[in-house]
Amino acid sequence: MFQHHKKPSSMNSHHDRPLCVQGDSGLVLTTDPKPRLRWTVELHERFVDAVTQLGGPDKATPKTIMRVMGVKGLTLYHLKSHLQKFRLGKQPHKEFNDHSIKDGLDLQRNTASSSGVIGRSMNEMQMEVQRRLHEQLEVQRHLQLRIEAQGKYMQSILEKACQTLASGETVTPASFKGTIGNQAVPDVGTMKDFCPPLNFSQFQDLNLYGGDQIDHLQQNMDRQSSLDHGFMQSNDNICLGKKRPSPYNGGSGTGKSPLMWSDDLRLQDLATPPCIGPQDDPFKGDQIQIAPPSNDLDSISDIYETKPVLSGDAVSSEKKFEASSAKLERPSPRRTPISTERMNPAMMNTGGMQQGRNSPYG
Amino acid sequence: MAMAMDFDDFLHLDFSGYSSTTTTTTTGDDYACNWNDWSPVVDWEALSGGQDDFHDLIESMMDDSGLNPNARVANIAHEPCNSVSTETSSSSMAVDEETNGEDFKGLRLVHLLMAAAEALTGVNKSRELAQVILIRLKELVSPNDGSNMERLAAYFTDALQGLLEGAGGVHGNNKHYTSNGPHHRDDHHHTDVLAAFQLLQDMSPYVKFGHFTANQAILEAVANDRRVHIVDYDIMEGIQWASLMQALVSRKDGPPAPHLRITALSRGGSGRRSISTVQETGRRLVAFAASIGQPFSFHQCRLDSDETFKASALKLVRGEALIINCMLHLPHFSYRAPDSIASFLSGAKTLNPRLVTLVEEETGPIGDGGFVSRFMDSLHHYSAVYDSLEAGFPMQSRARALVERVFLGPRISGSLARIYRTCGEEEVYSWGDWLGVVGFKPVNISFANHCQAKLLLGLFNDGYRVEELANNRLVLGWKSRRLLSASVWTSSFDSNL
Repeated sequence: MFQHHKKPSSMNSHHDRPLCVQGDSGLVLTTDPKPRLRWTVELHERFVDAVTQLGGPDKATPKTIMRVMGVKGLTLYHLKSHLQKFRLGKQPHKEFNDHSIKDGLDLQRNTASSSGVIGRSMNEMQMEVQRRLHEQLEVQRHLQLRIEAQGKYMQSILEKACQTLASGETVTPASFKGTIGNQAVPDVGTMKDFCPPLNFSQFQDLNLYGGDQIDHLQQNMDRQSSLDHGFMQSNDNICLGKKRPSPYNGGSGTGKSPLMWSDDLRLQDLATPPCIGPQDDPFKGDQIQIAPPSNDLDSISDIYETKPVLSGDAVSSEKKFEASSAKLERPSPRRTPISTERMNPAMMNTGGMQQGRNSPYG
Repeated sequence: MAMAMDFDDFLHLDFSGYSSTTTTTTTGDDYACNWNDWSPVVDWEALSGGQDDFHDLIESMMDDSGLNPNARVANIAHEPCNSVSTETSSSSMAVDEETNGEDFKGLRLVHLLMAAAEALTGVNKSRELAQVILIRLKELVSPNDGSNMERLAAYFTDALQGLLEGAGGVHGNNKHYTSNGPHHRDDHHHTDVLAAFQLLQDMSPYVKFGHFTANQAILEAVANDRRVHIVDYDIMEGIQWASLMQALVSRKDGPPAPHLRITALSRGGSGRRSISTVQETGRRLVAFAASIGQPFSFHQCRLDSDETFKASALKLVRGEALIINCMLHLPHFSYRAPDSIASFLSGAKTLNPRLVTLVEEETGPIGDGGFVSRFMDSLHHYSAVYDSLEAGFPMQSRARALVERVFLGPRISGSLARIYRTCGEEEVYSWGDWLGVVGFKPVNISFANHCQAKLLLGLFNDGYRVEELANNRLVLGWKSRRLLSASVWTSSFDSNL
């Protein structure tokens, strides 16, 4: 039986808590409205012993700890939260992104060892890691802008080609429903061939940096799926008409790229806590299975095959989105089960993907 | 040409002395490598760990030291087997073939291709034999349908066929082969090329990797300059510079919006650009720069038909930071003759550029440098590329087939033709090595640059990876195959630094 020897008053001497009372069981509970268990040194030691007996903080469960400790009044709830803190306490950097930190620490370790400076303080290392993290975020931001710029330029090439074609060749009326920026825009264009690729790339960019909150993720997923829907469904598919009114391409090539993300992107949002794993889940589960209709056969518009199964585009772009939004957290590429699954088309299904994805940090 | 033998006879030919992967028929012949001892299905899985990557297979076949304990195929490749069989006639094999027919077929194609390459150039070369094998191959492959390996093998078969036909003594005279191969890219419809290019960029990071790595190095090198002059060896449609301009316009340190001048080399004579002419590119870049407020001017520097570069032909401005940009071997690029490249880079040396950015293909180990090893290396290379594209667009095999037809197929033909002509004569080196030898100094790839590359690849597929093979060199690879190298150099005597 756990014997509590300290008087409550001495317990309080270094805390600014209200009075503690010693209960019958010997546990120290506070008297504030929500009685909290005070983890005294002895109690904690007892806890650690129990955990060790059970094989460590990862093996021990609140239930088993409770049993081993045999302390009356100690509830599962107390143990759960204490155990969690204990586990976290063992990994001081858990609150940062694991991989970046790991990279940063590795970097630091390597630098330190290679330059022979071994006795750097923890503080310095942490600062170095922070610095690297910030640099990575900067790189991410710049990368996005650069990809955008390239996309915009590419667009100008395609539009020019459209114009050439439109003037020189027979035009094929086509319709396209693109959804960027939350609007579905039906459009009629005169150009064949280029829309799926164009849309795909910009759509890819779109999904890259689209989300940092669940709403955003959801939003983007909607965009993504309707875009898929859009270009998969159009019959002659394509269109990159120069008169397209949608903000998607900012009018006939004058302009401002609609994918001006920089304003939207909020750096602090990038550093969302590492629960991006669970955030991904609603995505995967909801991945829309689009059945693209069959296209006409003889033109490049058929580039995108039509298969009544999970659209590869959707999957791969979803993957990209996941990858990218996840990658925002974890710049180092993951080469884990996913690659196995990716290479086998037969396994291209959300189930497979999910499996791969459930090991969050690689 | 009358066939001296039909294909069944082929089964019993003796290829002893070659390290070929061979199989036996299941007549129970007592050969060292009895196919029945190891079903291809079992081995395949052991080899590939469940992945259906043909390039893994090829790699294991070429793994001399047998380091991969799972690569039983590799081991067998080097056992002295006495017969070549490319057909399975046993019923037990039929079951395996059903379950893993595609893998088996892929393996078979690789064997056939290797055999054809050997027949064409090996010590006991035989044109008839090569012809027979190629005919058989053509029955099995198609450039538009089937698996990656089948489509890839179609182009290799085609290339070999071309070599066989041209091998009657036309070396180097056949411009068709030495430039872009029998399927001249310029023959493709303009829209095809453009669509293929867009697709290529969507499904793979090759183009962006080369461009962004070079651009980042350039940005860092000109951080404090007001005037930047880039000489671009092969500007194509200029897409690389869009993102550089954007970065220059938005840079925070150093003088804002430095003036950017780009001089693009243009080639007179043959080879109309398939995506755009240099002039069109120039106009486009000017417009783009204007749209984002980047001070910009564009110049052309015409090369003679022999593509000798004369540094004196460039207009230089005092105080500008000179950058030499040399993109080679990006998937959508045309072939450039080594002499032309060498002439450009040597000329560049005389200008003492601030920076030289070089992107080129990364070739694998080529063994003895003979045709067959280089052929197999090339097969390995392109199979990795095909696999990587499939990972980008897994369902859209027609899209991939377009990219393959427009860009990759011609490259394969051209490259094999060159290898054929020059194997054994030319030393194989990378342009990076060449730069080092000539006296350029490596410039470190920064953390930011490496980080950018990793992020970029992360947007595509986990199968891609980037390695820092040297302080100044990043290499993009697919799975275990290195594909594209980006390196950064500076001239030895640079007073600007």
